[in-house]
Amino acid sequence: MPGGDPARQVVVTGLAVLSALGDGTGPLVEAAWAGKPAFAPVTRFDVAGRRVRHAAHLPGAPRLAAELTRVVGEAAAGAGLDREQAGRAPLLLALHSDTRTAATVAEVGAAVRDTVGLPAVTSTAVGACTASSGALADAAVLLTAGRAQTAVVAAGYLVEPDTYALFDAASALSRDGEVRPFSRDRRGPLLGDAVVAVVLETAGSAHSRGVRPLAALAGWGRTGDAHHVCRPAPDGAGLARAVTAALARAGVAPGDVGYVNANGTGSVLADAAETRALHAVFGPGDGPPVSSTKSVHGHALEASALLEFAVTVESLRAGLLPVNAGYLGSADDCRLDLVLHAPREARPRYALSLNSAFGGANTALLVEAAA
Amino acid sequence: MSAAAPPTGPVTLAEARWPEPDDQQPPRIPGFIVSPFNPLVAAVADRCLRAAHGTPETADPRRLERTAIVLASADGDTATADAVGRAVADGSRVQPLLFFQSNPNAVAGHVAARWGLRGPVSCVRTADADALPAALAAAELLLLDGDATEVLVIAADAAAGTPGEARARLLAPAPHPVPPRLTAPPKGNPHP
Repeated sequence: MPGGDPARQVVVTGLAVLSALGDGTGPLVEAAWAGKPAFAPVTRFDVAGRRVRHAAHLPGAPRLAAELTRVVGEAAAGAGLDREQAGRAPLLLALHSDTRTAATVAEVGAAVRDTVGLPAVTSTAVGACTASSGALADAAVLLTAGRAQTAVVAAGYLVEPDTYALFDAASALSRDGEVRPFSRDRRGPLLGDAVVAVVLETAGSAHSRGVRPLAALAGWGRTGDAHHVCRPAPDGAGLARAVTAALARAGVAPGDVGYVNANGTGSVLADAAETRALHAVFGPGDGPPVSSTKSVHGHALEASALLEFAVTVESLRAGLLPVNAGYLGSADDCRLDLVLHAPREARPRYALSLNSAFGGANTALLVEAAA
Repeated sequence: MSAAAPPTGPVTLAEARWPEPDDQQPPRIPGFIVSPFNPLVAAVADRCLRAAHGTPETADPRRLERTAIVLASADGDTATADAVGRAVADGSRVQPLLFFQSNPNAVAGHVAARWGLRGPVSCVRTADADALPAALAAAELLLLDGDATEVLVIAADAAAGTPGEARARLLAPAPHPVPPRLTAPPKGNPHP
């Protein structure tokens, strides 16, 4: 951050993921690099009465609270957190708001107190598709403000019949069984499983523990469109302001960004608005490589932003940018430098992970590769 | 040398509750159905913002531009969740309009669009039956963060069969508790 205390920079020291691709970041990023989507006919519940019958989900019906508890434990172990340090760490959750939310929060809170030593659930964000990026930003604020040295952010959404039925009833899901962000003939998102946990820590804390960060969260920005209950503002101005805020916080110029993990739901209006946002920040013909990995792992709603943050971190670590899958050809309203067909080798210092949500909420997370 | 006084919490610029003694049902919102939760949120938000700004037309757009919304609820929109759950369970048609209101961000977005609030939009569920303290904590982080200079905080719950209750506050960061000329020079880097 410009002029900030380097010891208070926010770094990522733990990361654990469960997605439709399987357990861990490995299968997730391998599929994202291969551009190999995880969509298949839904078998978890009955979709006989639905227009669309595809999603990206794991076999069977994993329990959300159990999987959240497990990934929090994995992320904490990966970060090398001992119980004393965990005992001072806030836990910020992001979950879908429904009749099961309170029970999930209570179960996870009790379980991770036992397994990891986290004292309590600090907050539960439920604000749609920017819930988990907002939680990550909140955690970063706690660290930069000196209120914590370490924070754990966890988010989960497992495809379930009620939300599936809502998306289907509104004709919001892609009818051709694929998600085609920024493509001609794009038809919308498909839902996907994701349970993700991230350990954030001040750089000073990581250094004193001798833990090598996976990446840094160099900046973040949050804005609202003030436009509509669920549609994005067509000009993308709100999302552009979020990106600008994230870059300004870090003192990073647009030209230093070498990859954008886009929100890219594959919906007609949202992808066009996001393209305009990217053109506003980077110029219409001069932007960084872009892909939406929702084309591979699906849309995990409240957990999507944290899943895509994980993909972005792992892509920077590997020097390999993931593919924008499902692409059928260029769309006049989505002219971007898309990563198509094969992963692109690149070692940018900075990447953005973008998300937009119902209510006009926008978030931008600026990820910095580990030194 | 004594340490500088710690910063105080945010200040309240305006507040409102719904219902007040003479209130009837909150006004309906076009496009929102079934549930009392969303009209309740919109009504209390409107009342609070009117107390602070008059009308959307008379408000200072520079303030609205950097005003965030935090919507907190212990139980969330139970009526919408129950309506969807029932339809799915008995195999009946799910009303498409429920999709739009299926997340609390939707009504927050309705308030934001009506008033031109372009700060962050955040929704939280709270473990405590009184959602206001968690809402205030979330708002304080947004003010600390700097992406918002004012936050409209709404705490709302509508138990089944009731019109519900809601409170709203418009918050801004407190001025520094000690006049700058009296404070000691900051040690180290003052960046938050």
